[in-house]
Amino acid sequence: MKSQYFAGVDIGSTMTKVVIMDQATITSVIGPTGPEHRKLANRVMEEALAKANLSFDEITYVVATGYGRINVPFADKQITEISCHARGVGHLLPAARTVIDIGGQDSKGIKLKDGRAVDFVMNDKCAAGTGRFLEVTAEELGVSLEDMGRLSLEAKNRVEISNTCTVFAAQEVVARLSEGVALPDILAGLHEAIATRIYGMVRRLKIEREVALTGGGAKNIGLVKAMEAKLGFPALLPPEPLLTGAIGAALLGKDIVREAAEKGETLKVSERRLTEASIFT
Amino acid sequence: MTEEKKPEERKKRRTATEAASKVGPMVKAALKENLRAKEEGRPIAYSFIFSGYDEIIRAMDIVPAWTENYAGVCGVKRDAQRFLEKAESENFSRSLCTYALCGLGFDSWREELGEMPPDPPWGGQARPTVMLGSGQIICDPRYKWYQAVQHYMPDVPVYVGGLPYPPYEDDYDYRDVQDYYVKYIVEELRDLVAFLEKHTDRKMDWDRLAEAVDISDRTWNMISEAYDLRKAVPCPMGTGDAMNTMVPMTFMMGTQEAYDFFKDLYDELKIKIANKEGVIPDEKYRLLWGGGLPSWFALTDFNYFNSKGAVFPAEVTYRLVEPVYELDLPKVSDPLEHLAWRWVKYWSYRHDKARKRPGSNPDVERLIEYIEDYKIDGVVMHEAFSCRSWHPGLIWQLNQLKRVYRDIPSLILESDIVDISSYNEADTRARIDAFIDTLEAVKSQ
Repeated sequence: MKSQYFAGVDIGSTMTKVVIMDQATITSVIGPTGPEHRKLANRVMEEALAKANLSFDEITYVVATGYGRINVPFADKQITEISCHARGVGHLLPAARTVIDIGGQDSKGIKLKDGRAVDFVMNDKCAAGTGRFLEVTAEELGVSLEDMGRLSLEAKNRVEISNTCTVFAAQEVVARLSEGVALPDILAGLHEAIATRIYGMVRRLKIEREVALTGGGAKNIGLVKAMEAKLGFPALLPPEPLLTGAIGAALLGKDIVREAAEKGETLKVSERRLTEASIFT
Repeated sequence: MTEEKKPEERKKRRTATEAASKVGPMVKAALKENLRAKEEGRPIAYSFIFSGYDEIIRAMDIVPAWTENYAGVCGVKRDAQRFLEKAESENFSRSLCTYALCGLGFDSWREELGEMPPDPPWGGQARPTVMLGSGQIICDPRYKWYQAVQHYMPDVPVYVGGLPYPPYEDDYDYRDVQDYYVKYIVEELRDLVAFLEKHTDRKMDWDRLAEAVDISDRTWNMISEAYDLRKAVPCPMGTGDAMNTMVPMTFMMGTQEAYDFFKDLYDELKIKIANKEGVIPDEKYRLLWGGGLPSWFALTDFNYFNSKGAVFPAEVTYRLVEPVYELDLPKVSDPLEHLAWRWVKYWSYRHDKARKRPGSNPDVERLIEYIEDYKIDGVVMHEAFSCRSWHPGLIWQLNQLKRVYRDIPSLILESDIVDISSYNEADTRARIDAFIDTLEAVKSQ
């Protein structure tokens, strides 16, 4: 029987992720979303296909997710990131009952039951409590995002940083620097601030163990440690925290195809042509 | 203050019922009537909905001006920002109730100019003869707003009343204290009548009051019966429409017009049910609007829910009546006493039910009752940031509902009633999409 391949395309505010799967993930590509790339999900897809040595015609079904999911004209279906994250985490970390996803633009908590989202909370109103908080303050501190987490673990005397507003926090960081506070102590304060904010939101769901951390925030060891301190137990981390949404999207595509086959239905799929999103032109 | 360019008005929201589509013109007509009353020198009373004063105002032939409603109109027209900004320029905080803030901005501006602010929504709000505050539902603007407005209109007298009701406690029976409440309310309403007689040229017509009370009792029953019809599957009328039909319920109580409106609605819903005509043809999810005032500038979100197969057969917000025949009211001859009994019994309506379920309270019981009666799949609430008095209770109710009843899917929307700067359509709709996914997941389990 001919192999079936499924693609998940997750357009986040910062990164665009593509996963191609058959029985397991066979390839993935992570590229920046950015203003120029926003309409170019097709290019990330092309790259993934080249890596997998597949033509687009060989892809059985494409599901797009993420806040930019409507910008994927070649997708067969758009599914919310809540459902895709739930499906992805359910597959990768079946013990997880709660997901905390810390993205560049929003953060969310998802309650899982049988690998599906049954409740959720989101912060999409305020940059405090999202990856943007760290991006802005990293810039003020002249530290790369990649180094922030590691450096924060060297703190000896963590300082308190306001968690109510990204702009105020950035000002506070400058003031602390001028007071001569050590960089790791400031970074630890920042991670504590964002973790407090996210934990406060997710607690509304009545957190159940195990908890999986996903999104760009889960790649920051300082933030992971700060979240674990709030939770009071270790969190589960997927092998690549940025890919859970795209993996979930691909898996949901697979589910859709399987269910259609079981019902004897013919699925309508988009033309297999990798075009740019036209809504920006 | 310079006149700002007004934002373009949004496309009108699609209503499911004929009755709801008539409400816009009714509000417009009521505002026109206020302006006419001003010209003719008839007394106008700034008033709050659900104060318990409706029948008295009507019987004394005083024209009510519903200030919350006018702020809502500004919100619907997406033309509230300039009034909010005017109030801010007067040093009022943006975190106040934005109904009050909008009203304060409008009134201070009108008083400053000596005429209506430029191009006011639907003709503007007329200067009142008296202002009737009401503090009974833990909402500070309902008495502080008019006191603050009085700074701009020192010649306009303010009456601050507030009809109390027995608070819910699980270890006592409200019937033990209800008589005291009734006596207090009657005295308070007599004071209101005296205030109005003193500050307007009108005298109370007690026969007319009895008639107004009778018609409002019948209207309460008619509303209850009409809204009960929404239990039908498919649901013939949703919360989006109820945000229109709240107008005759709250702004016209005690009038024949209000009764006739709900009789027409009842008849219309009967026909829709007979024809199996729902808000949407393929109804997948039935939702309860579990509380919070709506974003008046974003009522099209209800249509968005509809586009996802979701309808709202019931809502807590603005369902401000119960069937009078179920309230067990004593027969009394004094219409003020009848009003007092109806008030106390309305607020105590679910006390007995709540006492039977540990951890519950009457508000939680109401949610449970609607969930069961209307076959509800999920609960949606709205945290309007500026409506401070309601929201702490809302979250508690939702948590208790899940604790004492069952873990039903829920969505909390975040925005405001009037302040459009708090609203993000894309994010709101992303949340709705995600909520629909969770409803589907729960249903399929």
